[in-house]
Amino acid sequence: MNNASGKTLLIGDNPFHGISHLSQERARDRIGNADSDVEKVNIVLTAIENGADGFMFSVSDLTLQLLKMMREKNTLEQVELYAIIPYAYEYVRIATQTGTPALAKKIAKQIAISGNLGAALGGLGAVLQMNPKSLLKTYLTYELSRINSAAGKKAKLTSLMLHEVLTDMGLALNLDWLFKSYVSYLSERDITPGFNTRNFPYLVRKFKEWDINLDETVIATQFNKAGFQMNPSREECEKALSNLSRPVVVAISVLAAGYFKPPEAADYLVGLENLKGIAVGASTVKQAHETFALFQKRLKSGH
Amino acid sequence: MEERKLRFGIIGLGKMGILHASLLNVFPEVKLVAFCEKSSLMNRIFKKVFSTTDSCVVSDLEKFRGLNLDAVYVTTPISSHSSIIKELFERKIVRNVFVEKTLASNYDQSKELCDLAKNVGAITMVGYMKRFSVVFNKAKELLSQGGLGEPQRFKAYAYSSDFIGLTKESKSSASRGGALSDLGSHVIDLALWMFGALEVQDLLSVVKNEAGSETSVSFTVVNSSGLTGKFDVSQSMPGYRMPEFGLSIECAKGKIEVNDDRMILTASNGIQKKWYRHDLNDCVHFSIGDPEYFRENLHFVNSLLANRQCDVNFDTASVVDYVIDQVRNKE
Repeated sequence: MNNASGKTLLIGDNPFHGISHLSQERARDRIGNADSDVEKVNIVLTAIENGADGFMFSVSDLTLQLLKMMREKNTLEQVELYAIIPYAYEYVRIATQTGTPALAKKIAKQIAISGNLGAALGGLGAVLQMNPKSLLKTYLTYELSRINSAAGKKAKLTSLMLHEVLTDMGLALNLDWLFKSYVSYLSERDITPGFNTRNFPYLVRKFKEWDINLDETVIATQFNKAGFQMNPSREECEKALSNLSRPVVVAISVLAAGYFKPPEAADYLVGLENLKGIAVGASTVKQAHETFALFQKRLKSGH
Repeated sequence: MEERKLRFGIIGLGKMGILHASLLNVFPEVKLVAFCEKSSLMNRIFKKVFSTTDSCVVSDLEKFRGLNLDAVYVTTPISSHSSIIKELFERKIVRNVFVEKTLASNYDQSKELCDLAKNVGAITMVGYMKRFSVVFNKAKELLSQGGLGEPQRFKAYAYSSDFIGLTKESKSSASRGGALSDLGSHVIDLALWMFGALEVQDLLSVVKNEAGSETSVSFTVVNSSGLTGKFDVSQSMPGYRMPEFGLSIECAKGKIEVNDDRMILTASNGIQKKWYRHDLNDCVHFSIGDPEYFRENLHFVNSLLANRQCDVNFDTASVVDYVIDQVRNKE
């Protein structure tokens, strides 16, 4: 489902986690704005009422709880879900606290006790063989089972997106098997494989080199007037976007983390051809209402 | 004829080792030849992960010998830096070394490593990547221009919530060197970079965990020109989802407040100007984590190619260990 403009509008979850790429001071200030889960659900639903097609979120205990609440209110079926895995912040924090080997063991333990028999058995086999592709599939099975358990079978998981840290490390290390296995596993389950990246032109080049069909993916990457987090440059990212054969890119950081107000961000975005859509966060119900009403109007009219 | 690539090895495949490996692999001038990882679990995983590449994964440093490496990255816990780097130099495994901060566990070890590096003519670098941040660079540039007059006093902080609410943090925190080495070292390095040599004056407070490593430390410093400074370092500060570093610098004709995200300049007439990363051309060829990681690796690679010493080398980094030792000796 898209809004009338054909562009996909997504509400993002960054403000719910206290994330601001503009400044951590700002993140600390605004995390209190939506401090109850009910308030966070209201923000998502307000965005949907005002033109958002879906919810882009990191798969965490918090967001799974929000999905569960929306499911119980029968408000989830109309929402397209774009889930990002892993919740890198939590994993980096664990690695910082306990070290990387302990992190690997913790993930294995989580899978084993998750109650998902397929994931647990697959995981056991993968660990015994030390087969990275099998480990990846086990992990994906585990994450999908968590989402399904919270959102229910009627929910529409449009895309499962690989977090930018893993995507970008995989690109840099030439791990083509990672991307091919990821695409293959999700395509077989009618879920669009998604990739979050801060190196969009590099990803396009690598996918072409590896013969991965970009048209069958969703790419979430930064597009904003300031060129913030657009590597290697805003111009290179815009050029790579315009050269795509199909609109597969969901623009993120469109406000450059609050550096721009929505009207100014919209001025830039309406001039970009080939965008599939945008994802933007909101800290309050009022902000969700204003932001999505504006983006729906501007992206619909195209000016 | 194809130009010879710089041949790199990486010791330690934790998050920093993987980060550096990823960034280095996008440099056309670099070839990742070998990884050394002692954890048998991680070793087995990475052997499979890199099985389609021509990089090898070993568990014994001795196996780096004979690989004709131009440089090695040491990204293991701080407590192992000294012994690993000594082995690299003394057994002539490699000449040039990049090590994640801090250089060593104490100043004596650091001095020894500096001497060894000089003896072998090593190009060295220590991972104080905050020096490659566009905002801290802007602050340094403004100070260097002199328009604000002499710095008179400063406050510096390094906060994270990494170890908040943990009951079993002691072992990990100790292996990471405690709050001073793990977190405070970055902002100590920034202060040394901006103001030059500092002597520790007073230890104001210290909180330790059961393993004896600091979780929070506060201390004051002074330099020969009369500049005074105060450092606050904590790994248990509420609200710091990501580690954050910052300095507030009072100069004769104005004030600079700088942190990872932005810099505010306040002139003596009260007029303010603010720069965010957005305003300072923060894009890089390839980014993972913060862009400063790419710039830091670029600096090391370019230093090797030009056969010149890095700006953040063993000598400069040993001064950070000197300050940390001074703080610890005040207890």
